[in-house]
Amino acid sequence: MLERSGIPEQAQIDCVFPAEERLEKGPVAVIECFEKIPCNPCAQSCPKSAILPFVDINDRPVIDDELCVGCNACIKKCPGLAIMVVEYSGEKALIKLPHEFKPLPEKGQIVNALNRAGEPVSDAEVVRVIAGKVSVVSIAVDRHLIKTVRGFSFKEKPEIPEKNMGNLELNNTNELDGIVCRCNDLTLGDIRKMISDGYTTIDELKQLARVGMGPCQGRSCIPIILGELSRYLETPIKDLLPTNFRPVVTSVKLSDLAEHDEERTSV
Amino acid sequence: MKNAADIVIIGGGISGVAIGYFLLKYGAKNVVILERDFLGAGATGKCGAGIRQQWGASINCIMTKFSCEFFENAAEELGCGDVDFHQGGYMLLISTEKELEQTKKNIVLQNSLGIESVLLSPQEAGEMVPLLDTSKILAATFHRKDGFLSPFKTTQAFAKAFERLGGTIYKATNVTGIDVTNGRVTAVKTDKGTISTNIVMNAAGGYAQQIAKMVDAKLPLYSERHNILVTEQLERTLSPMLMSFSLNLYMQQAPSGGFIMGRTCANQPRDLRVTADSNFPVEMARTVTNLLPKLGQLRMLRQWAGLYNMSPDKSPVYDEVPETKGFYVAAGYSGHGFMLAPATGQAMAEIILGLSPTLPWDKLGLSRFSSGNLIVEPSVV
Ligand SMILES: Cc1cc2nc3c(=O)[nH]c(=O)nc-3n(C[C@H](O)[C@H](O)[C@H](O)COP(=O)(O)OP(=O)(O)OC[C@H]3O[C@@H](n4cnc5c(N)ncnc54)[C@H](O)[C@@H]3O)c2cc1C
Repeated sequence: MLERSGIPEQAQIDCVFPAEERLEKGPVAVIECFEKIPCNPCAQSCPKSAILPFVDINDRPVIDDELCVGCNACIKKCPGLAIMVVEYSGEKALIKLPHEFKPLPEKGQIVNALNRAGEPVSDAEVVRVIAGKVSVVSIAVDRHLIKTVRGFSFKEKPEIPEKNMGNLELNNTNELDGIVCRCNDLTLGDIRKMISDGYTTIDELKQLARVGMGPCQGRSCIPIILGELSRYLETPIKDLLPTNFRPVVTSVKLSDLAEHDEERTSV
Repeated sequence: MKNAADIVIIGGGISGVAIGYFLLKYGAKNVVILERDFLGAGATGKCGAGIRQQWGASINCIMTKFSCEFFENAAEELGCGDVDFHQGGYMLLISTEKELEQTKKNIVLQNSLGIESVLLSPQEAGEMVPLLDTSKILAATFHRKDGFLSPFKTTQAFAKAFERLGGTIYKATNVTGIDVTNGRVTAVKTDKGTISTNIVMNAAGGYAQQIAKMVDAKLPLYSERHNILVTEQLERTLSPMLMSFSLNLYMQQAPSGGFIMGRTCANQPRDLRVTADSNFPVEMARTVTNLLPKLGQLRMLRQWAGLYNMSPDKSPVYDEVPETKGFYVAAGYSGHGFMLAPATGQAMAEIILGLSPTLPWDKLGLSRFSSGNLIVEPSVV
């Protein structure tokens, strides 16, 4: 199951996949966001307002397939890379995937199409590459694989670019432009500058740049920043001062809090 | 680490960096700030950073007016970036007859000191703050030059100006002891080494009484936890700071759009704990939804807490500790040490460097607690 393996079950996929008639009509986004987390950049990214407004920041996104035009905007905004756009094209299905690694594949290249467990299921042709902070790679597979394919891998191990820094998006010509904190739009360059200015704890970076205080509550940025601090201070991550995680666990309406009637218990 | 300094300041909160800056501004040399964690790690980084000049004791009016004028020109004077002074005014909400009577006196005093506060009817208050349920108040006062700042940026701006004038800051440096020889301080011991000095400035905020113990001085100070929370972000609709003594709340809408709010809760620990009080959000929510019902729709995102360092009359202590030559203290600000910081810096520089007083700090010495000449401030939390 998803919680254990990280792989969604078929029933979950069916729930978020557009109906067959909608797929026939043209490109459409599929959002495989199965966990309630405080994150909403997708809802704000859609130029057609097809991703319905969140009532609670912890809501899971709901997409109105009829409004969605498959423009790819949300693909690039999802910190969890949970969104793709799919489309039928003749005998083929096009799967448009977010891609944050270097190198980028080339148009016309044959790659392995992978299922959600990361296993190769067929060959695929790269039909389009839109390079960006998050690149979008379109691959063509057989029609019947539209619900199966969720990734790709190179046929041969590509040459790794010189400076490889783990999970940072490296498809930028200038790695310092790579976004570390999506909630507050901070680049790796911004973070390195602050660290070299002497702000060498997560708490200082939080206060001054608000890292970790946006909708993702640090899930995307803090691990990268800890890596940067560890490298700069030459200290293992486990020895860095932990930041405070503050209550509440999930956001609560003030009116609901006001109605809470329990005896005062603790100090 | 340096092994000697003319003056060692303990604590890198807003008080420590402001005192450091003013000392150098008035000609002191070789001043060091020692901070256990990082700048703003104490109350300064937890606070609402509101500033009001609407007080009931002239000394507080004078000192906050000095501070306000400093903040207005801080970018220029410190030359180190913006302090984000949002001068949207401060509205004090009044809900009892007794409070109204006192407020009227306060306004006369404030106006006589050049503070242009005004009394508003509930309707006028409601026009300024449409979120307000005006049936809950009798009146309000407003002063347009009050407001709030970014505590982080203000601290950094002072610190950078301090360093530019030649001061030295050691972060992650814990003071563990103070040497006293023949009734005079001689050195400060830290986990990173010892600095010999004849002047120690205790600006340790909620920990000031602990630092004082290092020279066997007992200060009439204690620290109390105060809670605060922030909601999700909303388009900016609230410009002034809001506060009410009788209804027990203060609130601001931060530039990011979140509403930051706090109140004084009963039975708070005084053992330097800053853990979150699980009852606070409920009490806060009741208070705020009573007065600004529409905010009930907003969700709370986070809560945290910090220490108020309290003196018997809730006013600061600026003094040299009589038994120990060279050991100075600036603490006990209750809930308004941030807004006082420029005045704190100016006052302590005058005291330590023996300059003639431009602020009435002579009334804020330790002797007032034995002589009984306490500051009588009716409008303080
Ligand atoms: C919730 C809350 C809201 C507030 N709102 C406002 C407001 O709106 N307006 C206002 O004016 N004031 C407000 N205050 C009060 C204000 O925050 C404080 O009065 C002010 O920040 C005190 O600054 P300080 O520099 O004296 O102390 P602190 O900021 O606490 O700094 C003391 C520093 O000393 C360091 N230290 C302690 N022990 C040692 C040691 N042994 N060695 C080295 N360093 C040490 C600490 O790490 C700390 O950084 C609020 C306070 C709280 C808690």
